[in-house]
Amino acid sequence: MIDLFTDITEIANKDGNKVYDIFFGPNHPGMHGNFGYVVDMIGHSIAKARVNAGLLHRGFEKIMETNLWHQNLSLIPRICVVDPDPNEAAYCGAIEKIMGLEIPERAKFIRTITLEMSRMTSHLMGMGSVGGATGLYTVMYLMLADRDRLLDMFEWLTGGRIYHIYNIPGGVRRDLPKGWKEKLYGLMDFFESKLKEYDEILYRHPIIHKRLKGVGVITAEQAKKWGITGPNLRATGVKFDTRKAYPYAAYDQLEFDIPTEKEGDALARANLVRAEFEVTISIIRQALDKLPEGDVNIKLGNPLKFKVPEGEAYAKVESSKGEYGYYIVSTGGIKPYRVSVRGPSLPAGLFLCHKHLPGMRIDDVALWMNTLQICAPDFDR
Amino acid sequence: MKTSDILNKTKELFPYIATELFEEQQGRVYVCSDHFLNVLVYLRNSSFVHLANIFAIDWIEEKEFELNYNLWSYDHNSSIIVKVRIPREKPEIPTVLDLWEHGQVYEQEIHEFFGIEFAGNPDLSPLFLHNWKEIPPMRKDFDTEEYSKRAFDVGEREGAK
Repeated sequence: MIDLFTDITEIANKDGNKVYDIFFGPNHPGMHGNFGYVVDMIGHSIAKARVNAGLLHRGFEKIMETNLWHQNLSLIPRICVVDPDPNEAAYCGAIEKIMGLEIPERAKFIRTITLEMSRMTSHLMGMGSVGGATGLYTVMYLMLADRDRLLDMFEWLTGGRIYHIYNIPGGVRRDLPKGWKEKLYGLMDFFESKLKEYDEILYRHPIIHKRLKGVGVITAEQAKKWGITGPNLRATGVKFDTRKAYPYAAYDQLEFDIPTEKEGDALARANLVRAEFEVTISIIRQALDKLPEGDVNIKLGNPLKFKVPEGEAYAKVESSKGEYGYYIVSTGGIKPYRVSVRGPSLPAGLFLCHKHLPGMRIDDVALWMNTLQICAPDFDR
Repeated sequence: MKTSDILNKTKELFPYIATELFEEQQGRVYVCSDHFLNVLVYLRNSSFVHLANIFAIDWIEEKEFELNYNLWSYDHNSSIIVKVRIPREKPEIPTVLDLWEHGQVYEQEIHEFFGIEFAGNPDLSPLFLHNWKEIPPMRKDFDTEEYSKRAFDVGEREGAK
């Protein structure tokens, strides 16, 4: 610890205090999660940013190689805390691709519903944290309170509020409990009625427009060549969605729009999340309407002896943050040979920061991170 | 254009590669390390602009590392994974920074966890691990259990067999 303090003092003395370093780290109120940037400051502008990752590194990819296929199911949701279901769906999807399994129709629809619910929880957190970073704390508390209603539904369905461990290779773990479907219909009505309130307190608020406009602009060309995906790509005007382009679960049987924005700045990204939230409500309603009867999983025998045939596959999912991908290599054993995770916020969190942060004011960093939905666990895994 | 047509066309242009169609929208290209940049340049220029990620696989029994370049075409909605094998004793491969700037982060990560050198990449400093002095941890011959016993001086747990 002594070393660290000496370092800070030395840094502070550098250049007669004209350039100083700030550790924008886990203890900073604007930072979500155990991740940080070290920024060289001149006045209140950033001159240079360095990445300070590794605080969260748990070696997930290595641990997965030593666990059974089914044991990993309890590990992978932890790669993204706010939006855990895409991990499960991508992992199971890759396994099913290697095995050549077609999961039952009902399981596909239930997966779609839980994926979209997970997207809603993540977007509520995202919208709320934009409010938190601009000082509109009411928004944050309101959104988190509403998010709890979805977590209650998850708890009822899966037994877990945050980590659901619900998808398994071959389908989902259990069928919908009695009365759950009706309750979810009611909850969708509730969220639809809430949208007006969200607009009033957040999206029409002059502070939001003043603070978010023109922050962190990305053009469509840049987004494509720098690996930026998901809402951040769509906010630049590119009408692309993995759910349509490379369908998984039951998305090919549902009808929905892909909302886009043109400007590519923080305000466009925030507005896009709002538009996607509305689309998600309609997807969940459709999936509930069309939910077929039948089995919810294929029985694949004893999970302790479960083996995946030799092969490899890449499965990707459109998460709330962008392309979530799992590349899985199996050599036919009871454990995976290699699992590689493509986290959606890696290009933004570790690469785009060097392009965007220099020149930005320190008070915009939290907003920039929130609107790009940088979630450290998915690259620092 | 379908993924199968793209693979066939690539195969025509580069006869020394092997291709495999995994599913309708997902294909693979196997190429040696001398020619892989040519294939990547061609795919990059024929609409495969999105590099989703680069990852490595340690095939320890075959004494090889396999690097995978995971590409996506927004125009053709098609995914192609370019696979390159390099010997484990001399793990070195040219960088792809000139094609994809953000490849920097993936190359840094692979260098850190597999010890693969990327010739031409100016900055391969560690990103995640702090004061790491062992062999790169994602290699198959790195024993996690043995390491944690040594590093953290953990004895046998009570009741653990």
